[in-house]
Amino acid sequence: MKLVPHGSELALIDADGVRHEKVRPLRLFPLTEPHHWVSILSETGQELACIEDPATLEADQRQLLDAALAKRHFVPVIRRILAIKRAPDGHDWLVDTDRGATTFRIETDESIHPLGRGRLVIFDKLGTRYLIPKITDLDRQSRRRLERYY
Amino acid sequence: MSLPATSEIHEALIQRAETHLETGERIVARLAIDLDASLHFHGGLIVLTNSRLLHVEATSFHAWPLAEVQDLKLEEMGATAAIHLVQNDSSTWHWRLTSGHLREVEAFIIRFKEQRGLVISDETGDDDDEEIFTAEESAVPHSQGRPLVRLFRFSSKWYKLMLLGFVLTIASTATSLISPWLTMSLVDDVLIPLQSATQEVKVSRVYHFMFMLGGAALLTWVLQWATTYVISRVAEHVTSHMRRMTFEHLQKLSLTYFGKKRTGDLISRIGSDTDNISLFISVDFIDFACDVMTILFTAVILFTIHPVLALAALGPLPIVGWLVQWVRSRLRGGFAAASRAWSAMNSVLSDTIPGVRVVKAFAQEQREIERFREQDQQIFDTNDRVNRTWSFFDPTITLLTDIGLLIVWGVGAYSVAHNSTSVGVLTGFVLYVGRFYGKLDAMSRFVASAQRAASSAHRIFDILDVKPDMPITTGMRKVGRLSGKIEFRDIKFRHGSRQIIRGIDLKIEPGEMIGLVGPSGAGKTTLVNLACRFFDVSEGAVLVDGHDLRDIDVVDYRRNLGLVLQEPYLFFGTIAENIAYGRPEATRAEVIAAAKAARAHDFIMKLPDAYDSMVGERGQQLSGGERQRISIARALLVDPAILILDEATSSVDTETELEIQAALEHLIKGRTTIAIAHRLGTLRRANRLVVIENGVISETGTHEELMNSSGTYARLHQAMVEVNQA
Ligand SMILES: Nc1ncnc2c1ncn2[C@@H]1O[C@H](COP(=O)(O)OP(=O)(O)O)[C@@H](O)[C@H]1O
Ligand SMILES: [Mg+2]
Repeated sequence: MKLVPHGSELALIDADGVRHEKVRPLRLFPLTEPHHWVSILSETGQELACIEDPATLEADQRQLLDAALAKRHFVPVIRRILAIKRAPDGHDWLVDTDRGATTFRIETDESIHPLGRGRLVIFDKLGTRYLIPKITDLDRQSRRRLERYY
Repeated sequence: MSLPATSEIHEALIQRAETHLETGERIVARLAIDLDASLHFHGGLIVLTNSRLLHVEATSFHAWPLAEVQDLKLEEMGATAAIHLVQNDSSTWHWRLTSGHLREVEAFIIRFKEQRGLVISDETGDDDDEEIFTAEESAVPHSQGRPLVRLFRFSSKWYKLMLLGFVLTIASTATSLISPWLTMSLVDDVLIPLQSATQEVKVSRVYHFMFMLGGAALLTWVLQWATTYVISRVAEHVTSHMRRMTFEHLQKLSLTYFGKKRTGDLISRIGSDTDNISLFISVDFIDFACDVMTILFTAVILFTIHPVLALAALGPLPIVGWLVQWVRSRLRGGFAAASRAWSAMNSVLSDTIPGVRVVKAFAQEQREIERFREQDQQIFDTNDRVNRTWSFFDPTITLLTDIGLLIVWGVGAYSVAHNSTSVGVLTGFVLYVGRFYGKLDAMSRFVASAQRAASSAHRIFDILDVKPDMPITTGMRKVGRLSGKIEFRDIKFRHGSRQIIRGIDLKIEPGEMIGLVGPSGAGKTTLVNLACRFFDVSEGAVLVDGHDLRDIDVVDYRRNLGLVLQEPYLFFGTIAENIAYGRPEATRAEVIAAAKAARAHDFIMKLPDAYDSMVGERGQQLSGGERQRISIARALLVDPAILILDEATSSVDTETELEIQAALEHLIKGRTTIAIAHRLGTLRRANRLVVIENGVISETGTHEELMNSSGTYARLHQAMVEVNQA
């Protein structure tokens, strides 16, 4: 199995030497285990290969994979909660993430899900996921604000 | 915290875009984007004008003449999406945005294609200056207020009772303050003279005081009784109204909402949260009102008796005020956490108890016990945290009371020695001060329960504030009995950011039976859900008898529907009640006829109480096929114009399936039927078979036609034959 660049996208040459174009990587555990278990899907969504630990790949392969993953991966990590305000249908969150400051609206308290070990995932109204990797790593004020809703 | 609201950025960008317009150029559509190329949050705007495509950001601006833009291509990439600008067959630019905005993007791209078509065919002469923008969400700000204020507004319906309760509260508080007053005279005018024996005291005066004190006690007793009753009644009214409102509101919410909620949480909100509120209004709120009264009255009395002494006694008051504030802020989070812990525990229960067969089958009792223990521990921990704050508060108030009393004793002793105060006044004073601080102590309890009620009220309003996303009242046209003509007009549908139905065009004539087949996950159930209007289409329209589903009264429409699902749901009640669920007024004869037609009559007769047999929550004492036949009888009884069978026979054995099929033959006569089935044999009566794959129709035709065309259907059929032979 070998990944090769294909324009701005990715192609895969499988064990039988068959070339699949426009393949895309998919994290199988994007929230709880983002760095392991990456599946390579064909253009039609069939699994072509599944990589348990991308660290075992050769450097250039790994780079290709990481670049392709980075293009699709979008789970902002919340660093600071600046404010949580009541809104007509839910709460507006004002946060600072690793992808910049943003606001989003969640519908109910239940849009905040624990994933175990202090990890939280928050689903906003539009379906974007935000991650808090460890509640205890947040600053005091953020934790205080969170506490009223979670 | 100086992040400008998204809407402000958006406004600014629109203004910027307007400054870039050339003469005669006007905006046709616009699209807000929220990410930059490296997927960081960054507001931008794509503007479609009648001649160009513009990209506006805070610091940059790009423009492309429409004639040079070959296409805009949407690429969905999970949580995000990319819009590619295609020029000369290659992507020369792209924008990224989160997937929540896909609908707007699709609408924008459609507008773009139309506009580009106009430009290419050189129809620039159109001078309808109508601007069409993609739907931009306009948030309707309506003030909600804080939970307790809303709770108060909620209760205002019973203002008369509340007023009565209030008057009673004042009266009972006032009477409870009589006895220290009497004590003062008792000491000064009777006891001290008696002791020092300087004056003659009539025994009748003692009796007089005793009588007055007794009377005051009795009066207080009666008044407090009345107060408590009246206020409890108000509380009961409020909470029962609240429970009913919440349940009514829940019934109006769409399937999407229930898809996201845990049953246990909803139960806990309607059950224990309303209970917290009731307790708050009935017990703590009157206590609080009494306390405030007592405090005010005693303060007035203290100052009229002896201003200096009063001032000394109330010295520690500011500290108490500060303490209350401190405790309040600590408790607020604590109670919210406690309510959530309760919900979580209820969720474990509502998960495990119905799933008990699975739990036992996989021998996971210990794990469920552990899960429950963990949740229970969570309740323990949150309560423990609250108690810690709380247990500090109580003794602190007591200490402050003691300090207050100490000051009174000191200052009092000094003024008695200097003859400016009598012993009786001092005694009365001490009694009043004790009462005063005692009430402060009770107020702290109020602080706690107010916080608890506030967080409970918040959880209730959380439900009440969810707007039904499919307003039942919008389409008001009553349709009555339909003939059953259904048309799916080029519909598309997404669940969140996932496109499930990608464009389906299908006309079904009245009385026709359509068989829907296709791989699982193809979107068959979604399609019939759209026909039932459990969801609204994202694009296109569903028409019945020529009316758009969105224009007609949902409740009225659904009376025309009969639905049989793969997993039949039986409510708790008798079999007859379950069969008559859709038409409770049906006669016994009708129920039996429906059961007979559904081939359910025979097995019902074998049950201990026949039609009166109770079936449990999920009808567990019945087999899958039996439950299915009851649900078929249920559908039959409402005599629907449109019948929908979603894998009605997939979970039963072949013999039962034959029974059910025979039942179905009755059912489909004279109605429009949409049947989904995996066993293709079930569909042999269908007038047409429609094969759905990946959200689109891949084939249509009769069994023979499809077999001859050797497409997906032929393949599915072949696979089934092989399985049956194996
Ligand atoms: N409430 C939902 N939210 C998100 N996706 C859903 C929801 N319901 C169904 N889907 C998805 O829609 C697709 C079609 O589902 P469905 O119509 O039930 O398929 P089927 O053809 O087997 O009946 C499936 O991929 C399913 O995962
Ligand atoms: Mg289905």
